[in-house]
Amino acid sequence: MSKDPWFRNRLIRDAIYHAIYDRMKVDPSIYIMGEGSHMKIHFDSPQIEKEFPDRFITLPISEDANTNFAVGMALAGVKPIVDVITADFLYRTMDSICNTVAKTNFVSDPKTIIIRSEFMTAGPTTGQRPESLFTHIPGLNVVIPSNPLDARGLMDTALQEKAATLFFEDRMIEDATTHSHDMDNKGWWDKIPLGKARIVRIGHKLTIVSYGLTLRMLDLLFEREKLEYELIDLRTIYPVDLELVCKSVSKRGACLIVEPDVTYAGVGAEITAEVSERCFGKLRHPVRRLGAPRTTIPASRALHDYMLPSEKSILEVAEELSK
Amino acid sequence: MNDLLTLYKRMVTIRLVENKLQEYCFRGEAGDLHFSKGQEAISVGVCAALRQSDYIVTHHRTIAHEIAKGAELHGLIAEVLGKATGVNKGLAGEMHINNPTIRHMFSFQLVGTCVPVATGLAWALRYYKKTRDVVAVFFGDAATSNGQVHEALNIAKIRRVPLLLVNENNGLAGNIRKEYYLPTETVAERMAAYGINAITIDGNDVEIVVKAAEFVVESVRSRSEPILIEMNTTRLCHHKQGQADVRSKEEIAKLAERDPLLIAEQRLAVTQEAKEQIWQNTEKVIDAVFTTVKEDPYPTWNSN
Repeated sequence: MSKDPWFRNRLIRDAIYHAIYDRMKVDPSIYIMGEGSHMKIHFDSPQIEKEFPDRFITLPISEDANTNFAVGMALAGVKPIVDVITADFLYRTMDSICNTVAKTNFVSDPKTIIIRSEFMTAGPTTGQRPESLFTHIPGLNVVIPSNPLDARGLMDTALQEKAATLFFEDRMIEDATTHSHDMDNKGWWDKIPLGKARIVRIGHKLTIVSYGLTLRMLDLLFEREKLEYELIDLRTIYPVDLELVCKSVSKRGACLIVEPDVTYAGVGAEITAEVSERCFGKLRHPVRRLGAPRTTIPASRALHDYMLPSEKSILEVAEELSK
Repeated sequence: MNDLLTLYKRMVTIRLVENKLQEYCFRGEAGDLHFSKGQEAISVGVCAALRQSDYIVTHHRTIAHEIAKGAELHGLIAEVLGKATGVNKGLAGEMHINNPTIRHMFSFQLVGTCVPVATGLAWALRYYKKTRDVVAVFFGDAATSNGQVHEALNIAKIRRVPLLLVNENNGLAGNIRKEYYLPTETVAERMAAYGINAITIDGNDVEIVVKAAEFVVESVRSRSEPILIEMNTTRLCHHKQGQADVRSKEEIAKLAERDPLLIAEQRLAVTQEAKEQIWQNTEKVIDAVFTTVKEDPYPTWNSN
């Protein structure tokens, strides 16, 4: 197997296409579009290529117009899935996402629009995580699944919501670390509403909240170190399941948020504020956050480990908070 | 019916609705609205050439397009004045109107956005819904400095979408003159980069606009391809209410000699008396609408 993560990590992607394919079968209005869509479908989903050859459109490298083009399609009844490929390119289409997609849905009947993109880590402009920016814009849902089962269920739901959804794919989540129970048929058809977090591990003394790549990191750490804290996967960072988080924190009296994104003004900051307000009397310690440093991502792979909180720091803070 | 008198009356309606709204601006009862004074022949002429089933997508200066496409005045004026009875319940205002009953699929305040959205709409109408409808997208000459417009023209030609590109060339970007944003003599010649056919016409002569639009729309419809009509026009009002104008009073007065209403009047050879009759009758209808809108409630806040 190739060492290159581009080719290695496929399970979540396959699950996303599985959901899209299933919905395409019953909903003729779903179209896939973006740069080089025909090539991406050719490699990623031969089934869609074979059965729905007219329902994916290759567009030029013009992200901003492509997303607005999708809005126009949606006005005629199409449910577009816009593939922006790498998340860094989302900055190029912030205008159409924030100014057109979100606002047209506010002014008149909301339409289903999915904007997909993936996180990589390769350098200054290939590996940024703009997810928290979108949580600030009214009218957008933001989904980041940490395993294939959630990826399938959440895409299935997003395609049936009359709403705009940014659907992220964390390509740094390694296939080899995926549990079999996160991809087998049991639960494969479960409906997963947007805004419902999942308790990944039941525990006491401390609630650890995370999503995407760092959630997977924590899951492995819990297994290896036999940790007995509560672990919650947000699954969607907007809407956020604050009810579940606060219920868990109220019982355990401590909360740590571990995020793959920059902590400054991020998702963790928002949850910290909410938890501090809602669970103030129940907390033994201040809510803590661990995440990426506020720095540009260096190109060398030797430095990529420093772009995420270390296991050592997680263990130390968790130990302190569990007291 | 596209006879000149009907078209003239429609232009008068636009002029009078905008004049009336301007009074609201002066009194501080409306925000800084964007009017189309002097450009009415374009919206009226193009919409007259379209079928009712055809679509329009427009920009921020859009009260004229709404009326030209046949909007019911009450819903439009209520929307512009932020009333709950507006076509979008007062959520859209003058610059973000979506009026599907007349197939006006959004106006976009942000310059350039209308072109890619219209391209997607035109694609879906032809290749998803399999209709023969076309989309007319209105955008200014200054909008052709925006990247999204060029990205969209590229896609429109590659994907062969039935799109009538209506360029309202008033030689101004807000309050900035052409030499700051348009390096070419015309907008039409810029279309060569995409292999899009284009013509340039006098956009202040409503009869020429109708004839050109009728001819081009049928070509757009039958060949399913984007074609541009550049309409040279004169904006006789400020970019928006409450903003100064880069042009002198004399310059605007000179441009007013090309007022589309004046051109139509001369051709119709209406007597002063007949003209006043038309204006008074139209004003009566409009006044009645404004009176009812005045009584309409404002929207209430729903925090959900």
